[in-house]
Amino acid sequence: MTAPTGPLVAVCLRVTDLRPEVDRLTGAVRRDPLGVGLTPADAAALELGLRLAETWSARVVALTAGPSSVDPVLREVLALGVAVVRVPDGGEDDGHGYTAELAGDEGGLARTLAAALAPFGPPDLVLCGDRSADRGTGALPAYLAHELGAAQALGLVSLSAGDPAAGRHLVGERRLDAGWRERLRIPLPAVCSVEAAGVRLRRAPLTGVLDAADRPVPVNRSLPVAAATGPGAGSGGAAVHLGGSRPFTPRPRVLPPPAGDDPRRRLLALTGALAAHDPPTVVAPADAAGAADVLLAFLARHGYLPEADGDAR
Amino acid sequence: MAEVTEVDAVVVGAGPAGSAAALALARAGRSVVLLERGPFPGSKNVYGGVVYGRVLDGIVPRWWEEVPVERWVVRRSTMLVTPTQSLSVDYRSAAWGEAPYNGMTTLRCHFDAWLAAKATDAGARLVTSTVATGLVRDGTGRVVGVRTDRAGAEVHAPVVIACDGVNSFLAKEAGLLPPAAASHHTLGVKEVLDLPAGAINERFGVQDHEGVDVEILGCTRDIPGGGFLYTNADTVSIGVVVALPQLAASGVRPEELVADLRDHPGIAPLLRGASLREYAAHLIPEGGYDTMPELVSDGLLIAGDAGAMTLAAGLWLEGVNFAIGSGDAAGRAAAGALAAGDCSAAGLASYRADLEGQFVLADHKRLRKAPALVLSERVQQRYPGLLCDLAEGMFTVTNPTPKPGGLRLTRQVAAGHGVRLRQLAGDTLRGLRIFG
Repeated sequence: MTAPTGPLVAVCLRVTDLRPEVDRLTGAVRRDPLGVGLTPADAAALELGLRLAETWSARVVALTAGPSSVDPVLREVLALGVAVVRVPDGGEDDGHGYTAELAGDEGGLARTLAAALAPFGPPDLVLCGDRSADRGTGALPAYLAHELGAAQALGLVSLSAGDPAAGRHLVGERRLDAGWRERLRIPLPAVCSVEAAGVRLRRAPLTGVLDAADRPVPVNRSLPVAAATGPGAGSGGAAVHLGGSRPFTPRPRVLPPPAGDDPRRRLLALTGALAAHDPPTVVAPADAAGAADVLLAFLARHGYLPEADGDAR
Repeated sequence: MAEVTEVDAVVVGAGPAGSAAALALARAGRSVVLLERGPFPGSKNVYGGVVYGRVLDGIVPRWWEEVPVERWVVRRSTMLVTPTQSLSVDYRSAAWGEAPYNGMTTLRCHFDAWLAAKATDAGARLVTSTVATGLVRDGTGRVVGVRTDRAGAEVHAPVVIACDGVNSFLAKEAGLLPPAAASHHTLGVKEVLDLPAGAINERFGVQDHEGVDVEILGCTRDIPGGGFLYTNADTVSIGVVVALPQLAASGVRPEELVADLRDHPGIAPLLRGASLREYAAHLIPEGGYDTMPELVSDGLLIAGDAGAMTLAAGLWLEGVNFAIGSGDAAGRAAAGALAAGDCSAAGLASYRADLEGQFVLADHKRLRKAPALVLSERVQQRYPGLLCDLAEGMFTVTNPTPKPGGLRLTRQVAAGHGVRLRQLAGDTLRGLRIFG
């Protein structure tokens, strides 16, 4: 097999239910396959990837981890002329296990995605949406940068190729408080996560849509790898150069130091991320009778009142 | 130069008519592109809520085992109301709750997606989020494809089936559909309300997957129309359908009419505690047989709402089944014309003949005078109150005054509503002629 050549732009896409229904009493989420799609940030990442690839005459590959129910969305990406790879996850059967998978181990997901990228060669740029809409922490790009030995820049509202006379690099901007923005000079290879920020994904040509409709979505069934991959893996990339900005001075907040020896666990305890907790309960009916109806309907729905309807009590 | 894709047939609109047409063509071995403007089939469709599935028997064997049903309708109720009264005629059938069933409530986003999947499974190629912006014609004026809004790309085909819904732009462009006449259209407005399944079962007297279809007359103030209430799995659909010109002239907001219906003393207890999930509105082509456009021209067929095939005949309010029936017939006619190598109007003429021979046009033709009767001033404004008052007079116990005789009471109540018995008898006879 001939190794692929030329610059490579990879886009990590998070395909998720854009209109989930949330039980107002329990916070339980009900998803609908018809609502599955790309968030505006992911769509912006793909569009920026396509623009930069045009500038660099680069190849583009889009990656996602998810069940086969996301394939219709990936065919829309295929229709844009982008190579696509889907990494199946533990939720292949129920279709939604990826949420737990991702929330539980973004580092593992980053290793898996890096492994799925390997056949295409080392990427010059990996783009992601700023964060996923379904409880993502926004940490995946950092893990990916670590795996690929790349620089990382997050929360970008614009991204473009820098002046090649100054060496191949990117120029990005991100928001600061009080309406300020900072401009970053981002060396390559890099992992960049972007906000939607007015960037809209182009429409695929009709021929592309028709061709993609008949094509299977390639699936990489490599299991998550335990070790980092790639020559620069784990070493960290070149430093992102920060241009001028006003320093951000958050209000101090005193917290007790978390106990334990594991830095990751201490960090999780500090932030509260991934901690199991009861989902929020928000019930705001107009009156007491309405509140009683909501509570009784919930009990009926969950089998505690077999003949219940909220009216007879 | 526009990018061009060549296929045997292009179907515009992945609603029930379009998907049925694409399915028939794909099963005939034809390459067919099914264009849908929404992000998925059913995403932009609106209807009351009941589908009568008998038309599916010949298209998807044992369809009831896989269709995304909400509830099987086992109760059909017709309700006459005044602001303070209601009189219901209620029919219930256990047979309707068993295979092969009669009618079902279903959500269009699920039902349309299911039927479109049948077409794609058979080989049709579905293209969503794409609008057919116009017809492509050859030098003789014959339709040979459609333009799309994807960078002006065109799909060329010997036959185009326009299933692009009410107020079809393609049918208008082809000169088959006259400029929209408001009097041939009604406006349907509905709300979908969340209500726990247990509450629906208890309040509507059903269980498990059983559902109820309530059609209501007299609930639209002075505007000709009617209302409906359908039970879904854990929601109910409630709404009104009103004549467009009179609605515009009245200055009444349509959502006020739905609110009236929701708050009616005969309806409100059924919906207590329900909360709004979604609302929708859509035009309905209810003009009937006499307002249908030409359905065939060179290289073009019209099906579904684009062909004004909604049956609004008082007792029967049906649309999806007519769309499926017409779409299926259009697909078969197109396949036959392609096989014969003649997609001219003459080559496609079997479509009209097929529709005339089956329920789609036969029912419309037989009931062609029904819309005028159902929407007439007496039926809309006088008879609901008349019949409610008649029932009240019959069932109000007036002791020690003796019970009134039926004929005297009828004469009194009719006079009170400005109706002569001769008119009542005449309308009854007219109804018998139309529906008999």
